[in-house]
Amino acid sequence: MLLFAATMVVTRRNPVQSALFLVLTFFCTSAIWLLLEAEFLAITLVLVYVGAVMVLFLFVIMMLDVDVAAMRAGFVRYLPIGLLVAIAMVVQLVMVVGPQRFGLDKVAAPIRHAADYSNTEELGQLLYTVYMYPFEIAAFILLIAIVAAISLTLRRRKGVRHQDISKQVRVKRDDRVRLVSMQAEERDD
Amino acid sequence: MDMKSIYLTIVLLPLLGALIAGLTCRVIPRALAHWITISSVALSCGLSLYVGKLFLLDHQEVFNQTIYTWMVVDGLHLQVGFLVDTLTAVMISVVTFVSLMVHIYTIGYMSHDEGYQRFFSYIALFTFAMLMLVMSNNFLQLFFGWEAVGLVSYLLIGFYVKRESAIFANMKAFIVNRVGDFGFILGIAAVAMYFGSLDYVEVFNKAPQLSDTSLSIMGDGSWSVLTVICILLFVGAMGKSAQVPLHVWLPDSMEGPTPISALIHAATMVTAGIFMVARMSPLYELSPTALSFVLIIGATTAFFMGLIGIVQNDIKRVIAYSTLSQLGYMVVALGVSAYAAGIFHLMTHAFFKALLFLAAGSVIIGMHHDQDIRNMGNIRKYMPITYVTFLIGTLALIGFPGFAGFFSKDAIISAVHASSLAGSGYAYWMVLAGVFVTALYSFRLFFIVFHGKERMDDHTREHLKESPWVVTLPLILLAIPSIFIGALAIEPLLFGPLFEGVIKVLPQHDVLETLREEFHGIGAFVLHGMMEPPFWLAMGGLFTAWFVYMKKPQMSEDIKQRLLPLYNILDNKYGFDDFNQKLFAGGSRALGSLLWKGGDVVLIDGLAVNGSAKSIGWFSSILRHIQTGYLYHYAMVMIVALLALLFWFV
Amino acid sequence: MSFDHTMLYLTAPEITLALLASAVLLLDSFLKPSQRVLTYIATLLSLLIVFMVTFATHVDSSLMAFDGQYIRDPMSDVLKLSLFVLMAFVFVYAKDDLRRRGSERGEFYALGLFALLGMMIMISAASFLSLYLGLELLALCLYALVAFQRNSASGSEAAMKYFVLGALASGLLLYGISMVYGATGQLGFAAIAERLQQGQVDAVVMSFGLVFVVLGLAFKLGAVPFHMWVPDVYQGAPTSVTALIGSAPKVAAFAMAMRILVDALPSMQEQWQLMLIILAVLSLAVGNIVAIAQTNIKRMLAYSTISHVGFILLGLIAGTTVGYASAMFYALVYALTALGGFGLLMFISRQGFDAENLHDLKGLNERSPWYALMMMLVLFSMAGVPPTVGFFAKLAVLDAIIRVDLLWLAITAVIFSVIGAFYYLRVIKMMYFDKAECSEPLQASTDTRFALSLNGLAMIGLGIMPSALMSVCASVFA
Repeated sequence: MLLFAATMVVTRRNPVQSALFLVLTFFCTSAIWLLLEAEFLAITLVLVYVGAVMVLFLFVIMMLDVDVAAMRAGFVRYLPIGLLVAIAMVVQLVMVVGPQRFGLDKVAAPIRHAADYSNTEELGQLLYTVYMYPFEIAAFILLIAIVAAISLTLRRRKGVRHQDISKQVRVKRDDRVRLVSMQAEERDD
Repeated sequence: MDMKSIYLTIVLLPLLGALIAGLTCRVIPRALAHWITISSVALSCGLSLYVGKLFLLDHQEVFNQTIYTWMVVDGLHLQVGFLVDTLTAVMISVVTFVSLMVHIYTIGYMSHDEGYQRFFSYIALFTFAMLMLVMSNNFLQLFFGWEAVGLVSYLLIGFYVKRESAIFANMKAFIVNRVGDFGFILGIAAVAMYFGSLDYVEVFNKAPQLSDTSLSIMGDGSWSVLTVICILLFVGAMGKSAQVPLHVWLPDSMEGPTPISALIHAATMVTAGIFMVARMSPLYELSPTALSFVLIIGATTAFFMGLIGIVQNDIKRVIAYSTLSQLGYMVVALGVSAYAAGIFHLMTHAFFKALLFLAAGSVIIGMHHDQDIRNMGNIRKYMPITYVTFLIGTLALIGFPGFAGFFSKDAIISAVHASSLAGSGYAYWMVLAGVFVTALYSFRLFFIVFHGKERMDDHTREHLKESPWVVTLPLILLAIPSIFIGALAIEPLLFGPLFEGVIKVLPQHDVLETLREEFHGIGAFVLHGMMEPPFWLAMGGLFTAWFVYMKKPQMSEDIKQRLLPLYNILDNKYGFDDFNQKLFAGGSRALGSLLWKGGDVVLIDGLAVNGSAKSIGWFSSILRHIQTGYLYHYAMVMIVALLALLFWFV
Repeated sequence: MSFDHTMLYLTAPEITLALLASAVLLLDSFLKPSQRVLTYIATLLSLLIVFMVTFATHVDSSLMAFDGQYIRDPMSDVLKLSLFVLMAFVFVYAKDDLRRRGSERGEFYALGLFALLGMMIMISAASFLSLYLGLELLALCLYALVAFQRNSASGSEAAMKYFVLGALASGLLLYGISMVYGATGQLGFAAIAERLQQGQVDAVVMSFGLVFVVLGLAFKLGAVPFHMWVPDVYQGAPTSVTALIGSAPKVAAFAMAMRILVDALPSMQEQWQLMLIILAVLSLAVGNIVAIAQTNIKRMLAYSTISHVGFILLGLIAGTTVGYASAMFYALVYALTALGGFGLLMFISRQGFDAENLHDLKGLNERSPWYALMMMLVLFSMAGVPPTVGFFAKLAVLDAIIRVDLLWLAITAVIFSVIGAFYYLRVIKMMYFDKAECSEPLQASTDTRFALSLNGLAMIGLGIMPSALMSVCASVFA
């Protein structure tokens, strides 16, 4: 199911469709994690990716008109060589990361935990003790991401009409109204 | 201030002055340039004299320390370090003192020259290089100083860059020195190879163990390693100290401004070779063959170069040949193991020869840069101070009793007389005859320039007057040591224990010991000297000069006609120049053009350089196209490379 | 885990810098554009403070903190200290360049400082986890900086390429790390080394992972064939950013290589040695040969970087302490040299005009003899002409290589360096013998001029006295 969904993501012509298949992919992944008893991670995945990221992503896709045909122009030409490389890669991977190396006889199966075992608590314990240093660095990475994104996209264009509240409040009468004393016109009757 | 920082200051101050004056030479005013360099050299000179006093009078301890390790290659330490002992102390005092005098003098001499600031930068730089050379404690730094001195002299000889003869002269000086330096660097390489160290002390300590080692250069002939090293090093000295047959550059180098002739080609740079051999005395002592070689070269130079001086007509060239001849004397002294006498003569010579050059320069200023003595005459009347100081210099040069040159020269001649080394008999006659010749050419010059008829044109005569005080002051200051330094220094330098442990002389070579036994005070030395043949020879030379050039001026013409073949030989300087010019210069040029046309143009340019350049250029433009600029190509390359690596390694 | 004060003491440089960088970011948001110079001063001040903090807390042996996530040893101290110096040069050069482009925004300084933080984390990483995070922190800053000039199409294109390829590379690196984790069950370098020492680790999985890890490394360093991003990014990014990318991160990448290959995988030396040989030879060949065909000087310098990376790799290949020391020396010297080159490029550029093409350098000697001299020193150093420091760097690396009997490799390197000398000398020829195309005087602020002169003179100064830096590098691995 996961593989099918992932393939669909890449092959669909309609970007909205592929985005929806991506959502399916996330669901499948999260299901696998559930099977591995990583409940917290599975939930987070669904909440964060499916709930937040993908929705945002769909918005973007729907707002932008992506020219799919142009993007696919080179696809066919490179398909054979791409396939060749991909197959070679897969063969390699399977050979190395197969059951004969990572089977149950090599790596012991994880111990089954009791029902009151809390995945979340354990994760929190680790995150704030042993892995505190990486955790802090990750925080900084997020900060950088924000800074970078803002600095790359925020710009004050000239000519865009927007309100400057403080300016509006501070405005004085003299700025807006000009009293002009004029010579009274002579009546020509 | 501890000794280390004093030594560093001595060396670095002139460098600092040179850098400031040199780098800002287009910006700073002339006066500032000379104040900066003069004050730096003056301070350096003051400190040097202080160091000299410490060593000569207070018996300061020898200083031998590494200042900075430049790098270590295969156990060979390349470093900068100072070895300061009595020998060094004498040298730095002389170098900085003469240099200071020349600096002051330059203010007057160069006052109208465009390259004023540049000139000061050069001479200060030269002082630095010379100090590095004499204060070094290892061969590498010695080589550095050696080359730096050569470089600056190249720059200075060709100082008048627009004068063709100057360019020719500096080229010649450079190439001839290169020949010498080639021997020198081979010698240093041999030292590094056999001793595994470049440090003086280590090498000297190891030398006796190697005295029996021999190597075969070609064929079956085997050579003592030490002899080979010594002779190679001496070839370097022959280049720098202008010994036959590598002397040809020195007379030509008179193309440079006169202060330079005084500083470099009389007082300091040419003495580098003498100093080096004296410093290497522990090596030379172990090789009688090398000593004989040194002796014969020196004796030949001393006599035959003096002879040429008789026929020269350029005031500076006469002095230049006299320098050659005097250097020959020093080398002779080294050859008979009288190192101290060599250094002693070096010192006295530095003073009186600088004096002579500067006085000659003063005359040249007066003569509006005309250097031909045939246009001079009776200048005594116009330039009294120059006249008196020149006379003092000349008397010192010919070794008139009581003057500086007398003591040193007499010591050398006696030392040669006492020596039993192979070739010392030849050398003795050469140096004796040299005394006569020296007196002859010196007083010939003196009489023609300062006495006799006034041969200059009227315009020059009207403007002929004594030079300004910046010129005469150094003359006077140099005249004083030219008179007294010999009498003052002979006892401590030659017969005292001053050079003990610095210069090493084997007992069987120690000719100075003989002199020491006969020495009974300065007065007795002077009186004794008056009885000896050198004195009478000098007087004979003086008298001959007077008779021929003053009493009967037409006689010189007669002699010239009668001895025309001899005159021609001398005038052509024994044909060294022509020989070099035709055979070496011409030959190497022919060889060069052959290699150029055959080797360079066809083989290297055509095939190797242009061929490879073309093929690389072609290859380069092919490879360049791989960089297409498409993202997916890049990604593809990465993935393919990854796959290749995977298949290779997994 | 236990929390004690030594931990804070050890990580003081990182903590200080993180705080100061955030402070600079905050400070800048309160400043008007005309007061931007304050941000600049604050940035330099921060560098000075971190420098002093690092220097004051320097260590003589290697110490760990944060449960084996963080390591502080003499190597990291020396590298960090030199990074501060390099970054200071970057900021000084960049200031004029940014102002000229009209894009002097405070984010540049903040992102620069955070990039520095990322590099420091990489240098001090003791486990794959912290190493990877440091790498990402650095990379993210660099992506943003490459696109810093928003209205430049080539900048955005370069940033896009850099980002996509970078993401691909770090994905592959991560995969490699997971393989290593899968085989050893450890993330800490020391622990991995210990596991490998004991045996019982699946060799195939390990070499599988190693290939991926080396790939990530090669991408960061810009070694062939993972170099494709280098020329495009160097050319597309504003020169000030190029100067940043081309200098300090190379030092960090060197540290990364040391940590992974030497700290974690010493027992696989035979394998990674061979891989690095392939990468090094390819880098030397492609870098030097393709550089000849370039007309854009930034692109040329990019290829020259690639070839220099080959030399750094050579030092690592030697696999001896002498080799590591020489590679470190080379990386530091190269970073400084490259900075000088880019700094001078920025110096030559002026309002609305980037000095990008080779012929912009023509006749530099007529326009400014002093800076032409500086440029010549820099180029000589890159070409490895004595007595500049570049010569000694090359000499040290080759010496290390010859000592382990890889003579053929040394000869290859020398041949390619000779080829490479051509394009450096060509620039020098243009500067000195060709006629200038414009005669406008060059303008720059005093601090830039000072830094440029210092940078140029360092080439010759370190060249005459290389032993000081050399002995520092050697003592780190003693």
